[in-house]
Amino acid sequence: MKRYRLLVALAALTLVFAACTDAGGDDTTTVANGDDGGTTAPSDGNGDGDDGGSLLEEVQARGELNCGTRDALPGFAVLNEEGEHVGFDSDFCRVIAAAVLGDAEAVNHVDLETTDRFTALQSGQIDVLVRNTTWSAGRDGTEGATFLAVTYYDGQGMMVNTGDFSSVTEMDGVVVCVAAGTTTEGNAATEAARLGLDWEVRPFPDTDLLQEAFIAGQCDGWSSDTSQLVGFRSAYPDGADSLTILPEVFSKEPLGPAVLDGDTAWAQAVNWAIMAAIQAEELGIDSSNVEDMLESEEVAIRRFLGQEFDDGEGNVATFDPGLGLPIDFAYQVVSQVGNYGEIFEEHLAPLGLERGVNALWTDGGLMYTPPYRP
Amino acid sequence: MTTTEGSSRPPFYRDVRVLKWLFQLVVFAIVAAIALWLWGNFRRNAAASGIPTSFDFLSAPATFSIPGADFNPNSPVRSAYVVGFLNTLRVSIVGIILATVLGVLIGIGRLSTNWVVSRLSAVYVEVFRNLPLLVLLTFVFLGVVLQFMPPIAEAWTPVSWIIVSNRGIGVPWYEGVSGWALLLVLAIGMVGWWLIARWRQRVFERTGQPSRAGILGSGFFLVTLILGWVLLGAMLTLPSIDGRQIIDGIRVDPSFFALLLGLAIYTASHIAEITRGSIQAVPRGQGEAAAALALTGFQRMWKVILPQAMRIAIPPLGNQYLNLIKNSSLGAGFAYFELTNVTQTTVGNGSPSVPAFFLTLVIYVVISLVTSGLVNLANQRFKVVER
Amino acid sequence: MTSPPTTLGTGTRAARWARKHLFRTWLDSALTIVFGGLALYLIFRFVLFVFVNARWEIIQVNLKLLMVGRWPSDQLMVMAVSVAVLGLWVGLIAGLVHRRQMRAGQSRLTAMTGGQRVVDLVRRFGLIIGTVLLLLALTNTNGPWLMAATTVVASVVGRVIGGAAGTRVLPRWVARTGVLLLALVPFAIYVYLSRTLALADWEGFFFNITSAIAGIILCFPLGVLLALARRSKLRLLQSLSILYIEFVRGSPLFVLLLMANVSLEFFVPASIAPSKVIRAIVVFTIFTGAYLAEIVRGGLQSVPRGQEEAAKSLGLSPTKQMGLIVLPQALRNVIPAQIGQFISLFKDTTLAGLALGILDLLEGAKAITQQPDFRGQGLIIETLVFVGFLFWVGSFTMSRESQRLERKLGVGTR
Repeated sequence: MKRYRLLVALAALTLVFAACTDAGGDDTTTVANGDDGGTTAPSDGNGDGDDGGSLLEEVQARGELNCGTRDALPGFAVLNEEGEHVGFDSDFCRVIAAAVLGDAEAVNHVDLETTDRFTALQSGQIDVLVRNTTWSAGRDGTEGATFLAVTYYDGQGMMVNTGDFSSVTEMDGVVVCVAAGTTTEGNAATEAARLGLDWEVRPFPDTDLLQEAFIAGQCDGWSSDTSQLVGFRSAYPDGADSLTILPEVFSKEPLGPAVLDGDTAWAQAVNWAIMAAIQAEELGIDSSNVEDMLESEEVAIRRFLGQEFDDGEGNVATFDPGLGLPIDFAYQVVSQVGNYGEIFEEHLAPLGLERGVNALWTDGGLMYTPPYRP
Repeated sequence: MTTTEGSSRPPFYRDVRVLKWLFQLVVFAIVAAIALWLWGNFRRNAAASGIPTSFDFLSAPATFSIPGADFNPNSPVRSAYVVGFLNTLRVSIVGIILATVLGVLIGIGRLSTNWVVSRLSAVYVEVFRNLPLLVLLTFVFLGVVLQFMPPIAEAWTPVSWIIVSNRGIGVPWYEGVSGWALLLVLAIGMVGWWLIARWRQRVFERTGQPSRAGILGSGFFLVTLILGWVLLGAMLTLPSIDGRQIIDGIRVDPSFFALLLGLAIYTASHIAEITRGSIQAVPRGQGEAAAALALTGFQRMWKVILPQAMRIAIPPLGNQYLNLIKNSSLGAGFAYFELTNVTQTTVGNGSPSVPAFFLTLVIYVVISLVTSGLVNLANQRFKVVER
Repeated sequence: MTSPPTTLGTGTRAARWARKHLFRTWLDSALTIVFGGLALYLIFRFVLFVFVNARWEIIQVNLKLLMVGRWPSDQLMVMAVSVAVLGLWVGLIAGLVHRRQMRAGQSRLTAMTGGQRVVDLVRRFGLIIGTVLLLLALTNTNGPWLMAATTVVASVVGRVIGGAAGTRVLPRWVARTGVLLLALVPFAIYVYLSRTLALADWEGFFFNITSAIAGIILCFPLGVLLALARRSKLRLLQSLSILYIEFVRGSPLFVLLLMANVSLEFFVPASIAPSKVIRAIVVFTIFTGAYLAEIVRGGLQSVPRGQEEAAKSLGLSPTKQMGLIVLPQALRNVIPAQIGQFISLFKDTTLAGLALGILDLLEGAKAITQQPDFRGQGLIIETLVFVGFLFWVGSFTMSRESQRLERKLGVGTR
C-alpha cells in the first residue's frame, strides 16, 4: 500500500515540477527577478554576475582565470611532467590571462570531458572555454554560448589504419568511432547518409577509451577534427605511420574560445585579447622583438602596444578603446606568450600541421582581425 | 499528567498536542524554505544563462546515434530515452537471470562435501564480493573484451555458428516471424506444461501411478515449440562475417557483453552468499528426513531444501536484483547506451541538464519501486506460513 | 552422498581424508578432477602473471600519483606526520577499549600471552601488513619506510598509554575532556592536511579513503534523524522521511554523482559552488544517510519494547529515553550492518572518480597507462590488478573484522 502511495506522490511531484518549469520556460531571455523577490540587481545590460557586474570585473578582482580545457590532446593541451598544461589552447588561456590580469600564469586550467564542456560554462565553473570547440548555430543558441574569434579553422576527417582504405567512399559496412557529445557525431552520420554508406557510429565517452578500442580493432575508422587526428596520430603507440588520415574533409569546424551568453563586456575583452595575438603577427611583432617595438616610430604599432604616440596634431595621446583591459594588454600578451604565428609554430607545426587556411589574410589565409583604432 | 477535574488543559506551550503540530509546522517551514531557496536559485541561474528549464527538449532531434539500435539521429530525444530504457531493461533482465543461476549454483557448491568445490566457491565469493564493481567492469571491458577478444579479421569461431570478436558476438537467431508470435508459442508451451503437471499430479494422488509429469510436460513443450516454429514459417539465421561486419544471426554488442558479464559475476557472488545463508537457515531436520526417505542428493536439494531456502531468500534476493538494476547505470562509462548514457549524451549535445537528469532519476525510482513491489508480492505469496 | 557410510578404508589419514572429501562417489571424483584441474591451472597462470610476466614498473614509477595524486612532493612530510598521529590515535583508542573490555570481563586478550597476542594481531591484520610491506617494497625512497616505522611506533606507544590511562579512575572532567579531545583528533588532522593542500585537490587512494570516512561520519546524524522521523507518529515527519529514503534508495549512486557534477550549479549560487571533492562527499552523505536510516530503523525495531517502557517508568523524558536507553542499544545491535555499509561506500568511492573526473585510484590507474613511456603496451591489466588488489585487501579485512565482531557481540545468536 505504502509503495503505491509513494508512486502517486512521485507522479504528483513530477507533474508539479513539469507544470512549474513549463510556465517558466518562456522567460528564458529575461533576467528573472520576479519570483524570488528581485534579489538580483537590475541588469544594466552589461552583464549578469551575481551582483549585476560583469565577469570581467569579477575575474580581475579574483586575480585568476578559470579556463576550461583538457589534458590529453597532443598539440592543443597536454600535461607535461610537472603537471603543467602545454599546447595551442593552453597558450590561448594564457593569452587571455595576460591581457585581463597582466599575468599569463594566473590561469586555473580546468580539465573537462567533451560532455561537460558547456555545462561547466553554463554553471560558472569556468570563465571561458578554450578547448578546440566548434562554433555552431546550436551552440550559440540552446547551449547558451557565445563564440569568439576563431583560432583554428578546421574540418572533420577520418583516420584509418594505413592500408585499409584509401578513400572514405570505400568505407561501407564499417564501424566508425567518435567522441560522444561532439559535432563529429552528427557529422559522421550525415556524411554516411549523404554518401549512401552503411556506417555504425560508436560514440565513446572519453578519448582514452576510444583509443583503446581503436587499437584493439573495434573500430575501422576514427573520425574527428583533422587537427585532433593529427595530434593523436603523433602520439600513437604503434607509430604515426601506422595510421593514415584520409584526404576527404567532411565539414567546417571553426575552433575557437567561447564564453557564456549575456556578458558583452567579458566577451569583447576576451575577443580582443585573442585578436591581439593575431594582430601582433600582422604587425610583425613577436616575443623576441616586442621590447624593441616599444620604441618603434609607427603609430599603429605604438598605439597597439599602448605607448604614447603623436596623434598627428602635435598632441601626445594614448589609445584606450574602453574595453576594460589594461592599456598595455597587447604588450603583455606578446611578451609573456607570443603572437599567433609563434603559438602555432611551437605547438601545431611539430605535429605536421601547416598554416593553410589559418595563415594571415595577407598570406591568403583567413586570419583577419578588425583594426585596433578608434 | 492531567488531572481529571474540570477542564484542566495544560497551557498551550506545554500541551503535547499543540507542540506536536507546532513542531511539524516548524519542520515543514524549514524544509519548504530550503526547497524554495534552491528552486529560486535554479530559476534565476537558468534564466540568466538562457538555459531552458522545461521538458521541451524531449521533442528536439537527438543528433546522436545509438549503436546497436535502429535509431535515426533525427528522432526526438524521447525516443532516445525509450531506447535507453529498453537497453537498461535488457541488460537487467538477462543479468538477473544469469546472476541467479550462477549464484545459486555457487551457493550450493559452497556447502558441498567435495572439498575442492566448496573451497573454490568460497574463493569466488570472497574475491568478487570485495571488489568494487567499477574495477571489475573496467577489467572486463578493457581487459577481456578489448585485449582477449580478437579483432574482426581474426574472429574466433569455436563452432561454425558462433562468431566471437571484439566487435560483437554473433549467435544464431530467428527470422521470418515476429518475436511476439514466438513468445506466444512459448507461453502456450509453458501453460500446457503446467496444466499437464497438475493433471498428472492428480492422477498420481488418485491412482498411485507414477506421474511422469516432467517427461510429459517437457515433451508437450518441445512439440508445441517445434510445431509453432514450423507452422509460423520461422527460420534460423546463422551469423557470418561479411567484410568487417557480422551479418545475419544476431550480434551481441561487446559493451553489452562486458556490462552483462561484470554485473552477473559481481551479483552472483552476493547471491551465492544469500543462497548459502538461506540453505543453512532451513532446519536440519528437513535434510535428514529427506535422507531417511531415501531421496537422492539431487532430489533432496531440488525438492526439499531449495524450495524452502528460496522462500527465505526472496527479500535479500530482491534487494540484489534492485542493486543490479541500479548498477546497470555504470554502462555509461563503457559505451553501452543504457538510460544513464543516453542522458549524459543528450546533455552533452545541448539538452538542459536539470530536467534531463531529473527525468532519468524519476524513471529509476519508478523502476525501483515497481521491482520492490513485485518482490514484496512474491514474498507475500511464497512466505513460509507459520502457525 | 547418500551411499551408506562405508568404511573409508585403510591407509594414511591423508588418504582417508581424500576419500571422504574428494572421491566419495564417481560424480564427486569427476568434480574433483575437473575443478581441481581448473583451480590449479588458474593459480598457475596467476602466479606466472604476478611474478614473471607482469611489468610492474608502471606501478613503481607512479606509486605516489596513485596513492596521493598530485600532492606536492616536498610536502609529503605532512602526510607522514598525519599518518603517524592517526596511528597514535588508533593505539590510544585500542588501549582504552581493551581496558573497558577487561573491566566488563569480556576481554579475550588477558587469557593470551604476549606472544599469542602478536600472533592474533598478525592473523587478523596480516593481509594489511603484507600489503603495506608490498607497497613499501615498490617505493624507491626512504620516506615511506620512515613513515611506516614511525606509525608503528606511534601506535604501540598509543596502545600502552591508552591501556595505562584506562586503568586509572580519573576525575570526571578529565575523562570527559579526554574523550572530547580524542573525538576532535580526526578533525584536527583534516585541518592540518587541508592547510597544505585544499580538500578540492585531494586525489588518489587518499581521496577514496578520506571521502569514505567523511561520508560515513557525516551521514550518521542524517541517518539517525531519518530513522527516528520514520518511526515518529507525526504524519508529516514520517512522510517526509519515507519520501526521502525511498527516493534516494531508488536512485543509482552513479546518476546522483553525475547530477552533482552538472546540475548542482543551478541550485546554488556560483559563489559557493563547491569543488568536486566536496560534491562527492555531499552525495555520499545524502546517499549513505538513506541506507543508514534503514539500518538504524532495523536496529530500533530490534530493541525490546520493555526497554522503552522501563525507561518511561523511571520518569525519563522521551529524549532521554531515546538517547540514553534505546538508541545506544539499537546502534550496537546493528554494528555489523553499519560496517557493511561503510565497506560498500568505500568501494563506491570509485564511482566519484568516473562521474566527477576526480583523479582517484582507479582513474589514476587508467591515466598512467597513457603516459608516453607506457602507452599502447596493454599495461591496463597490471594497473587494474593492482587497484583491485588494494580495494580487495581493505574490503576483505574489514568484512572479516565485522564477522569477528558479530560473533563476539553474539548478535543474532539468541
